[in-house]
Amino acid sequence: MATTVPDVKSAAGLKNSSGLKNNSGRTRTAAIAKHLGLVAVLLVLLYPLVWLLATSLKPANEVLTSLKLLPSHIEWSNYTTALDGISGVSISRLLLNSLLISVGSVIGNVVSCSLAAYAFARLRFRMRGPMFGFMIATMMLPHHAVLIPQYIIFNKLGMVDTYWPLILPKFLATEAFFVFLIVQFMRGLPRELDEAARIDGCGPFRIFWSVVLPLTRPALITTAIFTFIWSWNDFFTQLIYLFDPEKFTITLALRNFVDQSSTSAYGPMFAMSVISIVPIVLFFFAFQRYLVEGMATSGLKG
Amino acid sequence: MTTTATPPPRTARATATPPEQRKRGQRGGPAYIFLTPWILGVVLLTLAPMAVSLYLSFTDYNLFDPPKWVGLRNYSDMFTADPRYWRSVGTTLLYVVVAVPLKLAIALGVALLLSNTRKAKGFYRSAFYAPSLLGASMAVALVWRALYNDGGTVDELLSSIGIHTGGWVSDPHLAVFVVALLSAWQFGAPMVIFLAGLQQIPADLYEAAALDGAGRWRRFVSVTLPMLSPVVFFNLVLETIQSFQVFTPAFAISGGNGGPADSTEFYTLYLYERGFTASHMGYASAMAWVLLLAIGAVTLVLFRTSRSWVFYANEGA
Amino acid sequence: MTPPSFRRRAVLGAAAGALFAPLLAGCSDGDGASTAAGGKVTLTFAWWGNDDRAQRTNAAVALFEKRHPNITVRTSFAGYPAYVQKLATQAAGGDLPDVAQLDYRQISQYAGSGTLLDLGPYVKNGTLQTADFDKSLTRTGVYDGKQYALPMGKGTTGIVYDATVFKKAGVATPQPGWAWDDWAEAGKKISALGMKGPNGHTYTGLSDLGVNEDAFETWLRSRGKELYASEHRLGFTTDDLTDFWTFTDRLRRAGVVSQARDTAQIGGAVEDTPMGRGIAATDFNWDAPFLGYPPLLGDQVHFAPVPTTDGKVGQYFKPTMLIGAGAGTQHPKEAAELIDFLLNDAAAGKILGVTRSTPPNEKIAESIGKTLTGPEKEVYDYGRTIAAHGTGAPPMAPPRGDVVLQVSFQRDYQRVSYGMESPRGAAEEYVAEAKRELR
Repeated sequence: MATTVPDVKSAAGLKNSSGLKNNSGRTRTAAIAKHLGLVAVLLVLLYPLVWLLATSLKPANEVLTSLKLLPSHIEWSNYTTALDGISGVSISRLLLNSLLISVGSVIGNVVSCSLAAYAFARLRFRMRGPMFGFMIATMMLPHHAVLIPQYIIFNKLGMVDTYWPLILPKFLATEAFFVFLIVQFMRGLPRELDEAARIDGCGPFRIFWSVVLPLTRPALITTAIFTFIWSWNDFFTQLIYLFDPEKFTITLALRNFVDQSSTSAYGPMFAMSVISIVPIVLFFFAFQRYLVEGMATSGLKG
Repeated sequence: MTTTATPPPRTARATATPPEQRKRGQRGGPAYIFLTPWILGVVLLTLAPMAVSLYLSFTDYNLFDPPKWVGLRNYSDMFTADPRYWRSVGTTLLYVVVAVPLKLAIALGVALLLSNTRKAKGFYRSAFYAPSLLGASMAVALVWRALYNDGGTVDELLSSIGIHTGGWVSDPHLAVFVVALLSAWQFGAPMVIFLAGLQQIPADLYEAAALDGAGRWRRFVSVTLPMLSPVVFFNLVLETIQSFQVFTPAFAISGGNGGPADSTEFYTLYLYERGFTASHMGYASAMAWVLLLAIGAVTLVLFRTSRSWVFYANEGA
Repeated sequence: MTPPSFRRRAVLGAAAGALFAPLLAGCSDGDGASTAAGGKVTLTFAWWGNDDRAQRTNAAVALFEKRHPNITVRTSFAGYPAYVQKLATQAAGGDLPDVAQLDYRQISQYAGSGTLLDLGPYVKNGTLQTADFDKSLTRTGVYDGKQYALPMGKGTTGIVYDATVFKKAGVATPQPGWAWDDWAEAGKKISALGMKGPNGHTYTGLSDLGVNEDAFETWLRSRGKELYASEHRLGFTTDDLTDFWTFTDRLRRAGVVSQARDTAQIGGAVEDTPMGRGIAATDFNWDAPFLGYPPLLGDQVHFAPVPTTDGKVGQYFKPTMLIGAGAGTQHPKEAAELIDFLLNDAAAGKILGVTRSTPPNEKIAESIGKTLTGPEKEVYDYGRTIAAHGTGAPPMAPPRGDVVLQVSFQRDYQRVSYGMESPRGAAEEYVAEAKRELR
């Protein structure tokens, strides 16, 4: 594995990528060009989100003049209409449903994945190697191969049109990505603390609960946030399991707009879309560090 | 992510442990207790369903009447009598071949730009990453569909420079690319991984290369790319597997029906329709297994060919 | 190491408790109905349609709730494509609403798979009155000898047309018995005017009927064939379908019918049809949805009979929609009462009007007919005109699998309309799929 070199070197002035300092003039123009490039990419990238916000505030007759982003006046009625929700279910109900499922998923994942990760990272047992390899393999399994029988199982159990099929699997550590993430993190924790606790007479459970788990908090937070966001957006599972509109999530409710082609309803439709992504945006702003770093470490071999 | 000390070498297990605890560790008992949820999940939600779905793939099953054994009929229908199936395969393959390289190329390019940057790197990194979180949402898929619809932003922009495509979403030759572009929009996630990988390349390698007289491009090709190749490989495998399974954007941009003219009838969309709308669960299970094997085969090919271009630093030059 | 972990445990416990309570509440809902102490009953009732139908239906339901204070009805509605898809998944889960609006095509599928409640006992014991219904209409809800649904309306198809544009193009008002060729001629004349719709779209005389299985069926019947000969056999050949699609495709290429991408955007709602979007002068639709055109386009929009072949009429009266109850309902008696109310109560009949076409209860139909005005009166009169002119007997209820085939029909033709497939190639693909689906 590549040795982890602290960023100290770049701070010392040596760039650790392909650029080395030449004469300052060339570097300056290069830097400006680079920033211009980055800003250009950023603008193109964020355009759809800006468009979304702008369109949600536009009156119906201005919706098609999409190159002009700014509405002539802010049409708050789009949002008040949006509050009425979809097919008779209020938007607060839809958001609450989404929240319920996401929070349940978070608890499930954090609990079950940390337990499994601890076993893989810290405990010795005979089948560890093959089981760990198997777990990695399940990360690459397309869930469609198990989707239909899972549906049948939940159907037979009478759990279709409830939230159980959406939350229960999370309590059984089915998302190997998070087990892997937490394992990587735990492997990076110094074993001295474990040893110290063991010498004090602590068993593995105590060590897990009192020593390792608190130190794993950053990985757990990353797990929680990704789980929340992914479960919030999990359209497919919600589509096949939920029928009663009262139980819809906001993501599922937006499905009703998919076959609509008349642009006159864009205002309220996108107002609802904005509302549906607000939680994700909030999480992002609050926890971007965890998200970005979580993403970064998942790609590096531990 | 707060520890900076490297973990002690694995021979730590040579440290003295009291005999009772050493025995317990070797028995593995506590480990299995920790692993109980995972094991239950594997058995109940992975292994058993896989076996059942394999069985179902040889039946015609509509969830009411008991499964009716039909042998290989589902597979033979799929491969020889169902043009829509092959269209869905073609659409998905086209998408994967376009979207994955595009997304990774942009991710790598931007990561390279950013890794050189001193100012505001954190800001850019977060800003580029944000779309990755939002891209899978229904809301953004709806936005994308609107942008590429008749009279939408893309149509207007292109018209203003004289290219009249009309809305891409209603053009069977262009609709797939709308989905591909949405995927490329989410380059932030692989970009962050590339960035981390770039940062791990030891600076002395560049110094040595520069001292040997290598120019910028040469350094890129001979230092950056090889050192980055494990990360490229990781991203490639992950993105490819994910792309085969694209659903929400496909559903939304296709208008929920694979349109126009089946041009956005992705594999998973067709699978969903066959299983859940047409109630042919056996057929859908067969499709799922073919998908599994196809992804397995592609992954295997990627792994095999990786030996020729992926360079692991600790294996020596 | 101690105080923080205790706090954490308490927080987790509280969170788990707060989480599971509503979950359990959500679980007990089962098929949507519930009975609280005191005999209060909640029913779920779903239908498809537009806002006008929703308003009227909700008003009728409110009246029902007033008459039955112990019953609450939770209503929901959606556009047709979304509704059909959702119903399909609900049926797959054995979880239909207590009362649901059903399409003629779905009866075989859902009755045959045990998802619908047998209404026979309730008809027998008088909860559901059918004395004033057209007998042949009531029979359309029968499957395998049992009554699984009752008709909510009696309707037929027709051609919506813009009288002003017709006059401008010199096309005569369509009369019963006019031919498909007359229809094509009308389209040519109007398209030749070169009018433009909003956004500079070409304005065509006709909308492309190639995507419409109902139109195909009517065309078939006017030639003495039918869509389905039995539960397992088609009533037409690949040649028939090729002829139809060649007919429509030729018109499309001549610019007489709407362009491919405009037709592709059809979502079921009137606003999404080419005529509804102001780019075609005519459309093919059922009589109840006709009511959606005048509000959009104005009073000059009228309803005309469907063209015939050599005078042979292809259109027929069918139940525009039926109403049934989910087999898993916890409150079959109350569900039957709601159904009876909607179909037989005079006050409900007045509220609902012809939003689902001519009411099945003939007494109610007559009394309403006297009070209707405007487009609603036109729909009612149209029904009587067509009945007087004579139609063939309605076809058998479409077999299981038709729901899927209706969508495939549209998609297969779309490939033709985008020039990606020949009419014969698409017809062969459709017929092959139909045979597989029906076997």
